[in-house]
Amino acid sequence: MDRLQLREVGVNLGGQTILDGIDLTVEPHELVAIIGPSGCGKTTLLGVVAGFIHPERGVVSVDGRAVSGPGPDRAMVFQDDAVFGWMRVRDNVGYGLKIRGVPRREREERTGRVLDLVGLTASADLWPRQLSGGMRKRVDMARALAVEPPVLLMDEPYGALDMMTKQRLQAEFEGIFERSRMTVLFVTHDLEEAVYLADRVLVLAPRPGRVAGMLAVPLPRPRPPQLKLTPEFQQLRRRLGEMLEAAEAGLVGEVLR
Amino acid sequence: MTSLQAARVATGEPGPAARPRRRPGVGLRRAAVRAVVPVLVAAAWCGVTYGGLVRAIYLPSPTAMWDALVNMRQALPGALASSVSMTLTGYCLGLALGVGMGLAFASSRLVRDLFGGVLDFIRPAPVFALIPLFLLWFGIGRGPQVALIALGTSVMLSVTTLDAVRNVNPTHVRAAATLGASKLDIYRTVVLPSIFPHLLGAVRFSAVAAWGLDVAAELIGAQNGLGYLMMVREQYIDTAGILVVVFLYGVLAGALDRLLVLIERPLTRWTTRGHDPDATEAALGGG
Repeated sequence: MDRLQLREVGVNLGGQTILDGIDLTVEPHELVAIIGPSGCGKTTLLGVVAGFIHPERGVVSVDGRAVSGPGPDRAMVFQDDAVFGWMRVRDNVGYGLKIRGVPRREREERTGRVLDLVGLTASADLWPRQLSGGMRKRVDMARALAVEPPVLLMDEPYGALDMMTKQRLQAEFEGIFERSRMTVLFVTHDLEEAVYLADRVLVLAPRPGRVAGMLAVPLPRPRPPQLKLTPEFQQLRRRLGEMLEAAEAGLVGEVLR
Repeated sequence: MTSLQAARVATGEPGPAARPRRRPGVGLRRAAVRAVVPVLVAAAWCGVTYGGLVRAIYLPSPTAMWDALVNMRQALPGALASSVSMTLTGYCLGLALGVGMGLAFASSRLVRDLFGGVLDFIRPAPVFALIPLFLLWFGIGRGPQVALIALGTSVMLSVTTLDAVRNVNPTHVRAAATLGASKLDIYRTVVLPSIFPHLLGAVRFSAVAAWGLDVAAELIGAQNGLGYLMMVREQYIDTAGILVVVFLYGVLAGALDRLLVLIERPLTRWTTRGHDPDATEAALGGG
């Protein structure tokens, strides 16, 4: 069965059509990146899947059930820093489990495992203010992973980080995704990030946001960072760049199929 | 060690920031610098009063102030007890009322929409302007004075709480919601801790305001208390006596403030406040 399905989704905000006729089907354990020029409604689309925004038209469903609001089956990592400053790192990561009443022992065990996975074990008892930007992003990530969401939503999570940290977190996430069973929607404006992480890249055209095309990324996993230097990778990246330019120019569909 | 951790160690990503240590002797020097102005002021005070440059009716000498304190020793304990008990009673009532209103605001948008507009409207109005009205409504006595202090402080507290609730980071709320938090969970685990530091700030400045309200209330309609004592001294043109009362108010307000700081500090360890106090000074070149 399809894990995630969007059918004819349309959103209006303030009298304007933000998204129109979005169709998307995502398989279990697939990573689909969403890319598009600014103003194309990438973040809005993710908000619809998360359940923050109720679409005027169309349906979003996860495992066949229609989405009606936010829930832990679709955990999200945000572009803005979302770490709770009033909780130590360990309590941040265990937050979703505690909310859901997971017994203490199991909670500690699972929190410990996720802390280890993202490399935060040594920082578990620190306050967030003591962490660098990259480390805080890891906390956000770990907190979402801890609830073991079938669907993970990533909204330009590395957009505000410096190049080095960004590359490192991308590589870590690629490894985590590969070893998990998660299905991921990953919004980004970074071509390289999209090609490096995704199985498929959805390209959106702006005003109103609609599907301009889809690029399949047939690169094998696991993907070491050096993959970015290969001709195959560069070719895909170039192709995605062309698709994005065409989308920006308003050429939807015909050229890109 | 996993390969991820190894990679991190190799690239040397910054860990938790270390706090810069202050050089010994700098603290001593700063203490000395800070004492300069108070010492100069005291010296000038002694100089102009003992030197006869100012008439005692405008500025009494330190000895005159001491004499005034001794003269008032009969009246002072009763006045102190009266003012302190009244201010603290009003302040505690105001705290309970204001924090209660604030928590109600935090809990529901309906409550915020219902009362928020009214609060926004009365917020800029000076509470002191209500004093004549209170006298008319409730007459002279402890009741209206306590009510005035309670009302003034509770308005400050609830307004601050309302602002704080409006400024809760929406990303925090959304993050909690995507992790499965219910409305009640979000209130308990996100909204309350987010507004807490602001609330403590309001608790402090409303304490200062409580003393001000007490003075104002007593100046207008009281039969005892420090403010009343001040009125009486004014009729005798006893500047020294007035200054003694002003000084006492300062000591009282300062003591309450220190007490509140002591209580709040362990509760706000997680905030960035107070953890990097030298940043501005360093940037502006203050030695």
